Amino acid sequence: MEILQLIVNGIMSGTILAVPAIGLTVIFAVLRFTNFALASHMTIGAYAGLIANATFGLPVIPSLIVAFVGAGLVGWLSDEFVLKPLRASGFITTAIGSIALTIGLENIVRFIFGNQMRGYDLPIRRDWRFSGLHISPQQVESLVIAIVVMGLLFVFLSMTRTGKAMRAVADNPMLAAIKGINADRIAGIVSFVGMGLAGVGGMLIGLDTTIDPLVGFKTVLSIFAAAVVGGFGSIPGAVVGALVIGIGEELSLLVLSPAYRTAVGFIAILLVLTLRPRGLLGARAY
Amino acid sequence: MEHYLIAMGVTAGIYAIMALGMNVIWGMAGLINLGLVGFFAVGAYTSALLTVKLGWPLAAGIVSGTALAALVGIGVSLITVRMRGDYLAIVTLGFAETLRVVMSNELWIANGTDGLSGIPGPLRGTLDPHAFNLLFLGIVWTVVAVLFVFLQRLSFSPFGRVLRGIRDDEGVVEVAGKNVVLFKAKAFAVGSGALGLAGALYGHFTSYIAPDLFAPLLTLYIKLSLLTGGLGNNVGAIVGAVLIVFFLEATRFIVPLVPAVSSVQAASLREILIAATLLLILRWRAKGLIPERIANISLPPPTAEARTQPI
Amino acid sequence: MTRVTRRKILKGAAAAAAGVALPVRAYAAGEAVKVGILTPLTGAGGADGPRMLKAMQAVFDEVNKAGGVDGRMFQTVVEDDQTNPEAAVRAARKLIEVDKVPIIMGTWASSVTTAVLPVCWESKTFMMTVSGADSISLLPHQGYLVRTQPTSKLQSIAHASYIASTGKMKIGVIGIQAPFAQSTKEHLDATIKAAGGSVVSHVIYEKDKSTYRSEIDQVMKANPDNLYLNGYAPDTVVVLRDLYKAGIELPKFCQSYAVPQSTLDANPPEVSEGVVTGSPSADVDSTAYKLAADRLGMREIDAYVAQATDWASLAVLTFAKSKEATGSAFKDNVRKVSQGDGVKVYSAIEGLKAISEGKEINYEGASGPCDFNEIGDIAKCRFRFTQVRNGKLEFLKIV
Repeated sequence: MEILQLIVNGIMSGTILAVPAIGLTVIFAVLRFTNFALASHMTIGAYAGLIANATFGLPVIPSLIVAFVGAGLVGWLSDEFVLKPLRASGFITTAIGSIALTIGLENIVRFIFGNQMRGYDLPIRRDWRFSGLHISPQQVESLVIAIVVMGLLFVFLSMTRTGKAMRAVADNPMLAAIKGINADRIAGIVSFVGMGLAGVGGMLIGLDTTIDPLVGFKTVLSIFAAAVVGGFGSIPGAVVGALVIGIGEELSLLVLSPAYRTAVGFIAILLVLTLRPRGLLGARAY
Repeated sequence: MEHYLIAMGVTAGIYAIMALGMNVIWGMAGLINLGLVGFFAVGAYTSALLTVKLGWPLAAGIVSGTALAALVGIGVSLITVRMRGDYLAIVTLGFAETLRVVMSNELWIANGTDGLSGIPGPLRGTLDPHAFNLLFLGIVWTVVAVLFVFLQRLSFSPFGRVLRGIRDDEGVVEVAGKNVVLFKAKAFAVGSGALGLAGALYGHFTSYIAPDLFAPLLTLYIKLSLLTGGLGNNVGAIVGAVLIVFFLEATRFIVPLVPAVSSVQAASLREILIAATLLLILRWRAKGLIPERIANISLPPPTAEARTQPI
Repeated sequence: MTRVTRRKILKGAAAAAAGVALPVRAYAAGEAVKVGILTPLTGAGGADGPRMLKAMQAVFDEVNKAGGVDGRMFQTVVEDDQTNPEAAVRAARKLIEVDKVPIIMGTWASSVTTAVLPVCWESKTFMMTVSGADSISLLPHQGYLVRTQPTSKLQSIAHASYIASTGKMKIGVIGIQAPFAQSTKEHLDATIKAAGGSVVSHVIYEKDKSTYRSEIDQVMKANPDNLYLNGYAPDTVVVLRDLYKAGIELPKFCQSYAVPQSTLDANPPEVSEGVVTGSPSADVDSTAYKLAADRLGMREIDAYVAQATDWASLAVLTFAKSKEATGSAFKDNVRKVSQGDGVKVYSAIEGLKAISEGKEINYEGASGPCDFNEIGDIAKCRFRFTQVRNGKLEFLKIV
């Protein structure tokens, strides 16, 4: 029964990780670099949602949309003006640049909002209990939201023209260019969507806790682990990876002290990459 | 003021040693390593534990710290040898974080989050603090000079050329009959050794180390140094390290000139300034202030390289 | 070609350095007493540093407004320690060597304090801190340190006695990985055992996690009848929320700094309802606590704010006593105003008045009597217990 409870907890926390992990992996698939600025965009999303919810009194779903749009806009702008010019110098330079960007953005948030903890203006609910298990309705809601977001993304990628163009660029940028797909426009859209998802992830985490300027930074290592374990660049991989990390961190409590949680993500990465160097669902983007 | 400059000179020297080490791994071999602080920690903890708990002489401790960091570097490189650059980035980051978590939790190794204090330094206690700092300044910059000469020779040797080859096109090097895995491991060993050396020196300088010290922030500062000075270039690594320490400190004096901000805002402004500077350097001086003089070095055509090899 | 460039760089650097140094020298010529404040404004301690900073500055402002000490004002120089020992040491060196501050106050993380302390004692700079690691005061600091935070031993004994007095005997401890984690658990256990109880479970968690559900399940396995939350504010709030969600209604106890008013404001009131907090305190009849709270316009203040108030007040009074702004003067004279048979004073202003009347004083602070033993630790103090009721801290008792 304890194992079952741990697995349930793991699924819950894993699904929330999945949303920003998808954002990260989408950006990687198309733009071919690890965008460490994910952390600050999660924070920005959390604060955008906070303004919508606590200041303007919007309910959760519209606030999440604000979080998506807010983080997405910042993501698009920062890519356009900061990261895009760096891409010519190679992926390492761009990745380092994104670390600097994330520190800059985190501190802009700190400059505006200060360090105080802030909470969403939402009631907090008791767990549902049945047959010895307990599940938080908040987390179930987040789970549903995460699944809906993933569904919408799937529809976007497979049904719309822009989505198909994005996949084309991810598969073969050269061929896509020959076909007349505007890579710049796609880069902008990918940055918007990817960082928007990071923003939603940031707010989902904030709903469960409280937020401060470090909210994104605190979880970002687990998200990177999730994306890598699943296979960097693969969207289903990000979901699977997030669940593996989520459940893995919980199950590790059976044998390890909870103080070792972070290490579990790293061990998972090493195991998976040693056995399957391209991640669980092997990204096609190589 | 001069005491402050001396202390910052020591810090700059230690940053320079790290930048030189990173330059071998990243600048020359093109391997990304975000776990810099992990190797720094290995060197610092090894030397500190050996000198504090077993009473080894300082030199023996520092050499062991350097050697162990180099060994760990080889290990990490062998585990990650077939990984793509972006995976390597995350694995090395994870390595450093895991090491930090282990050192925080395993109290028996080095007091956990309390850290190790009272680490001996050369003639600490005999000299007055300022003379000690001056002595250490001499030691650190002597190490920088020796390391510089060594790496400069390495860089212009066939070994250095192969590393650049791996960086620029791994396939070509492999075709030329070189054992890429071995070369990568050697590059990691040399680079991590230097990082460990810096860590050991840092511990003996400040007399205290703790897991909190090994936060990712330091990694960023060293990357910043390398990019500022010019990646792939040993002179650039040293100049960059000095400039970064200068800049990190200078922001303390600049930010208070901004009117009407709270202390928290001033602190965030300082970090915004640091981040923005890095981005500006990356944007407009992507090759750094002193670009790698690549045309003369790494362009003996691969055919010439191949010709010297028995086929 | 390159040589010219290099020379240019050096020249530029020298010019910048000179430009930077000038305003500092202009300040140093003034009459003000400089006080270095080194506190976390970014990083993990960023939630606590600004609060302490505000409290310190409030005291100095009040003193300056009243005319300072013999016309000499107090000027604070603030540096961010970034909750990182390496950055903190650089900042401390700047405060000591450039600003020439004789005293540094405000460090929070134990690792930061342990890293900065040698720099302080070597340059004869006095230090005041809130860091709790027992090992700090055992360093060879030659008296250049006082710490207003009671050792974890003193605190956990008092906390366990309080818990025993409520009749609860099976403590479940859940706390963050920190220097005080192990010793707190041991002293809680020893004290409650004497009353016939025990610590039935002890879970140490990692900082920065967004949920501690499984950790809570783990600590609940041994069926504790009360919980001791041994964390900092950012993680304690997550534990409190998860406890509420899980419907665990056991009595909860934690440090007052773990539930500052900002935590209470950021959460629905039911989350923290009934939590009992403990903080070091002065005697019941001491007005220092009330004065500190009024100065900041608050009803209840947490242990960090109270201690920050006391550092600033002690610095002012020690200077008034010795009239000498050097680290060794602070070291030699702090105990002449903090303890002894002098007239009890509860604020810097009150103390200054008494000193000017030629009286000996004994400062009784917001965080306790501020009587230091030879290694700079709080010798003994009382403890103040409050309970959260409907999102507000209500005073319970002082023991």
